[in-house]
Amino acid sequence: MLELKNLDSGYDFLQVLWEVSFTVEQGEFVALIGPNGAGKSTTLRTIAGLIKPKGGDILFNGESIKAKAPHLISRMGISYVSEALNLFTDMSVKENLLLGAYAVKEKETQLKTLDYVFELFPRLQERKDQLAGTMSGGERKMLAIARGMMSNPTLMLVDEPSLGLQPNLTYAVFEALLKLRKQGVTILLVEQNVNATLDITDRAYILEQGKIVMSGPSHEMKANDHVRNAYLGI
Amino acid sequence: MAKETSTAPTTTVNFITWIKDNLPVVIVTIFSIILFIMIGFEGGPPQLLNVIVTGCMWALLATGLALVFGVMNIPHFAHGESFMVGAYIAYFTFTPLNKIFLATGSKFLIYLGPFLAIIAAGLAGSVLGIIIEKLVFAPLRHRTKEGWIMNAFLLTVGMSFVLTNGTTLAMGPNFRGIPRYFDVPSVEIMGAFIAVDRIVAAIISLVTIGLLWFFLRWTKLGRAIRAVSQDETGAQLVGINLDFIQTFTFSLATGMAAISGASLLFMFQAYPTVGLTPLYFAWYVVMLVGLGNVAGAIVGGFLVALLQSGTQLFIGLSWQSVVPTAIMVLVLMLAPSGIFGSEVKGVQEQ
Repeated sequence: MLELKNLDSGYDFLQVLWEVSFTVEQGEFVALIGPNGAGKSTTLRTIAGLIKPKGGDILFNGESIKAKAPHLISRMGISYVSEALNLFTDMSVKENLLLGAYAVKEKETQLKTLDYVFELFPRLQERKDQLAGTMSGGERKMLAIARGMMSNPTLMLVDEPSLGLQPNLTYAVFEALLKLRKQGVTILLVEQNVNATLDITDRAYILEQGKIVMSGPSHEMKANDHVRNAYLGI
Repeated sequence: MAKETSTAPTTTVNFITWIKDNLPVVIVTIFSIILFIMIGFEGGPPQLLNVIVTGCMWALLATGLALVFGVMNIPHFAHGESFMVGAYIAYFTFTPLNKIFLATGSKFLIYLGPFLAIIAAGLAGSVLGIIIEKLVFAPLRHRTKEGWIMNAFLLTVGMSFVLTNGTTLAMGPNFRGIPRYFDVPSVEIMGAFIAVDRIVAAIISLVTIGLLWFFLRWTKLGRAIRAVSQDETGAQLVGINLDFIQTFTFSLATGMAAISGASLLFMFQAYPTVGLTPLYFAWYVVMLVGLGNVAGAIVGGFLVALLQSGTQLFIGLSWQSVVPTAIMVLVLMLAPSGIFGSEVKGVQEQ
């Protein structure tokens, strides 16, 4: 479904990613793991079209998307939930969600997805008229994920959803991702919480200093010596 | 949770904290009400109506400025030239049309003429906005975002020079005006005679502002415009076409300025530098209430009109620019982000 071929990317004169290649198949739940500054977020931002790659190619369902504008990539069915969340802080929760479905033409589909999202995150329904900027960190994360779902994406790129959340909220977020996956949405997850991530994902790639150094099924990765030393602290 | 236990003491406390939190707004509101009443006593209904007419006009121009700054982060110093273009278009549409319509003798057509001229000016302004955006700002935006505000500011100043001098070259420095749009006697309101043109101009600005408010608040496109002004990246991620929204917003603002230039043709004749005064007052407004604050710009328009009228009445006509400027300096010293204190996110981000 998603294929990165020798992707080089970065900011201005600073190259962050060096020939990164990986694939995500339809229906998979894939993790991208690595230390701070390895280029995980850069990878997601490049796929979402916010950064233009310097070399290599990105294929989505066989079509190259590396030169496309972010809004067109979003309309193709890739939804990026950024680390910064990028919520519309002066708008209500409901307005944020409706904007998530901006590219969805049929009003009925919009409302149906809205109902579904509210079912998934009852907290958001309780607060649907509250301004997004006045919500707590956990609620904002939920809102960002929910907004990302509103466009009925086929692939979701989720960046550090557990960052700054207390443990029980982290589990709530992970549970939401698992539910999404059951719906048939393909997910590429970037996470710092390696232990929990390897428990819920199918496969994992390890990115270090802008290069993919290791890959394999998540349970195997969890048993790997390097991963245990570097990320699990065992 | 404190709100639910609304016993008498807590309500008072809540009210006091609310006043403390919104001190600038409260002071400004009280001050404006006092000023409005004083103007009413001193000048009578004509002065009050004058405040409303001028207020509508500044509000219409200032909302355009606020929109352009909020959505595109452009400090627009060529906004007055849109006003000027509107005035010219209205003049060149209205004068021949009026001749033809007068010849037919049909009352309906004669009264329709001014509206056609104003609509034509609005359309021409929007088209001008699209051309400027595509020709000047879009290429710059795609090249670099570095130092955007400064670059955009310099560009608009340059544009202002080019447009005023280009107009002088093409049209000459002559004043082209009309005595009035509607050749009917003044209407008596509360013992004062008010020209119909003024009333129509006020209604046109109010309707335009109302439509804009409705558009921004309740339509999908309007919501997308607000989304871009709040978070550009977020807007792109949900599939909003940034280029389209920015061109559209610029065209909208330019069109609104042209409408205000056209509907005030009887007051401001069309000449190359006619846009300067309205531009400065529109800037007073947006600086007073905070850049990029569209709702504030509407209130601010009336505030500046009130200050102007008050100065004219109590201090003297020649002071009418001095006092609002002095107050603006004061406001910037005390509340740098304007009295309605909305901090503009885009500035810090970029």
